Amino acid sequence: MADQVDSMSDAELRTKLAEHGFPVMPITASTRNLLVKKLKLVLDNKSKPRNSVDSKVESRRTLAQYSSGEDSDLDTTNNARERRGRRATTGAAMLPPVTNKTKRQPPAKKGSPAKRDSDKGSESEEEKSPVRTHEEVETVTTRRVTRTYAANDQDDYETGSDSDVDSGKTKKTSTPFRSSSRSSDYISSTLPTNDAATSPPKSSIFSRPSISPGFSSSLSSSDHLNSIRTRLGLTSTLGDRPSSSTYTSSFTPAYQPSTSTVDEVESPYLSNFTRRLSALKADPPKPTSFIDRDVNNGSTVLPRRSYITGVSRPDVVDYKTANDRKFLKNNLVSLALVVLVALFFFCLFFMYIVKKNDITSVVDDQNSVIPICQLNIPGNRPGINCVPKEQVSYAKDLLKVIHPELTSRAAAFKCGKPGALPYLTEREIIDIANSKAGSVDISQCRTDLNNLQVLIVNNPRWGLSVVQLKNLYTKDADYEPITTTEVVVQQRNKGSVALVLSDPSTPVTCLLVNTMYSAGSTLVVVGVMSLLLLGLQRSYKYYVTYQKRKSEEVYSMVEQIIQVISQETEDSGEPYISVDHVRDTLISPQNREKMSSVWDAAVKFIQRNESRVRMEVQSVDGEDCRVWRWISHNSPKRTAAWQGQAFETQEGSVNNLTVSPTPCLKIRNMFDKNDANPNLRSVIQEAIVEKCGEVCNILHVDIERTSCCVYVKCASPSDAGVVYRSLHGWWYEGRLITVKYLHLERYMQRFPNSPSIGPYLKPSGQRRSNWEE
Amino acid sequence: MSSTSQKHRNFVAEPMGEKPVTDLAGVGEVLGKRLETAGFDKAYVVLGQFLVLKKDKELFQEWMKETCSANSKQSADCYQCLKDWCDEFL
Repeated sequence: MADQVDSMSDAELRTKLAEHGFPVMPITASTRNLLVKKLKLVLDNKSKPRNSVDSKVESRRTLAQYSSGEDSDLDTTNNARERRGRRATTGAAMLPPVTNKTKRQPPAKKGSPAKRDSDKGSESEEEKSPVRTHEEVETVTTRRVTRTYAANDQDDYETGSDSDVDSGKTKKTSTPFRSSSRSSDYISSTLPTNDAATSPPKSSIFSRPSISPGFSSSLSSSDHLNSIRTRLGLTSTLGDRPSSSTYTSSFTPAYQPSTSTVDEVESPYLSNFTRRLSALKADPPKPTSFIDRDVNNGSTVLPRRSYITGVSRPDVVDYKTANDRKFLKNNLVSLALVVLVALFFFCLFFMYIVKKNDITSVVDDQNSVIPICQLNIPGNRPGINCVPKEQVSYAKDLLKVIHPELTSRAAAFKCGKPGALPYLTEREIIDIANSKAGSVDISQCRTDLNNLQVLIVNNPRWGLSVVQLKNLYTKDADYEPITTTEVVVQQRNKGSVALVLSDPSTPVTCLLVNTMYSAGSTLVVVGVMSLLLLGLQRSYKYYVTYQKRKSEEVYSMVEQIIQVISQETEDSGEPYISVDHVRDTLISPQNREKMSSVWDAAVKFIQRNESRVRMEVQSVDGEDCRVWRWISHNSPKRTAAWQGQAFETQEGSVNNLTVSPTPCLKIRNMFDKNDANPNLRSVIQEAIVEKCGEVCNILHVDIERTSCCVYVKCASPSDAGVVYRSLHGWWYEGRLITVKYLHLERYMQRFPNSPSIGPYLKPSGQRRSNWEE
Repeated sequence: MSSTSQKHRNFVAEPMGEKPVTDLAGVGEVLGKRLETAGFDKAYVVLGQFLVLKKDKELFQEWMKETCSANSKQSADCYQCLKDWCDEFL
């Protein structure tokens, strides 16, 4: 089988890989090897965990839909083993276990040379089937049960050693290290159809064409198998469970007995939980422990997978509704309390609303002060400060008649109806009484009214008051209450007495309207204010951003200007450039007007804050105009230059030696210790020779980087004197250099190969005139 | 995945252009030399292989192991590097 994989065509290889659940990818020269190897590995390992094949395929398929988080979750602990196992087992997906069994039985009975292999295959089948039936009976099995089965099987069949090898292999978990010949045999026994199809010459023993006539051609067989497998995978999520758990129980004891039993016992619970977990998308902390254990255990992940695929949605709904009901039950008391309180306040409100000013009860109250006219008291005048006893009831009746009108008037006034007045004048009262009672004697009515006024003045509790109108002829609601009967009598003659409710209650609708009105007006005010504020804030924001944009524009303009200046001055060789020229370079004609403010700001900014640019007036082509001069301190021309003398070294100076003792010099501080320039020596030599090579003969220049010294050997001591005078105390690249004489012997010691006669070092000329400004 | 190496960040920060294969995270001088002898002299060639393998981590790591005998850490680094690059620029 393995060598067949090698000789497969690309198309075949692709089909095979697709069968085993690999992503279909291009088979190129570089990937082919890899894929072939993968396929081999798969075919190599697929026979081992025969029973769990379908669930494993399922798991791989479902895994493909999972988030990478889950994937990595598995990967973290023992991904190598996990992966190898999972990928490896997918290989056997070609044949569902049932067909496997039926196909393999006959050769085992035949006793052919393949007895060992087929025995092994059948043994595993036999081993599986009792366990499976057992599992179907009770889903929760303990490990002990299955192991006894396995032990029994080993007793029953002579190939017990094989299963030992199997378990040992699973323990090792490094499945690819099996002998290839054995594995290929193995594969051929489990995969007869493939063998027969792809390698006709090799099918001497295991091809069994008579047994599997349905799977004769390779493509059709693979298609058929695929369909079978998919059908199985779709329909047998429940059926997978027993088989996978069998696998688990026969697989895990070898290396993790304790946890495997726990998992076995807990797996139904776990499945419930995971189902809920996946359905609700919630992430309670509890399941993580299970998942962790799953990962640690490795093999028990599989049942969980198949459970997840078999999620039943109705359960979820049940759970949710149950949840709601429970919530209601728990909070019944508190909810009832809230409702009661709300009801109480509502009743209170309602009662307050419907409370009526029942005038009759008030008037008929026994506590009312009623000044009865008594004939024996001389000051008593009926209708002015007392009421005749027999007329009290008439006065009260009059009040009852006019009270509703008074109330409605007060309400209308309170509601702010235009033209409404809160009071009833005497004439109006008499009119009302007339209309109510038909033909009543007006003088009688007048008397009753007078009596009523006396009563009202004496009984402020009635909620009425007699008032004096300020303006008789205008519709003004201005009045002031009268508290004594004397005043009432005075005003009565003027006809400016009226009755009014002292504290009228406002009707609900009116109250509502008023409240709404005031609320509305408040809202309007608030809205206007907030709009104003918003506008203000907006405009401020806009202003800030505008400023920012403006300054950004200015800055970018400044940068552009500087760039242009540096560029142009460098290109043209002139050290300055006209301001207007820069502007015309940067700003296109149509924007010139618009950008003038930005331009002015940029120019101002440069004038104030830019040290590298100096503005001056130059005559360009005979016309004076403002120019920018580019003052660049890091001009490349000045890098290796002599920058002037610090002190005098000429003849007669105190710094000058009259006699030059030796032809050799040592120059300090000409370069830095950190100077990493590889041609430093030639640069220095050039600089020195340029400075004084014309007037003296220099034989040799060398440097020593560690001590930062330059050694110069001249043809004669007098030449050295010239060099000394022209170098000592000079600034070179910002460093003050010092020169000392050196003994010739020391020099020769240091540089034994230095020349003692010409040719002399002369300046090359290309860098002349750089060092003197 | 709390932190990535400086090399990784450098690689992921910009388009790979003509970067040599040694600029990939997890690929040092030795692996780079081996990859170069296998014909993968530029990072984009490795990217091509990475894409041909459909960004499959396992297969890519296997390929790395086969081509330049990279260990799992190196190949995982390289895979992550290419993956992040792809997420950024592809």
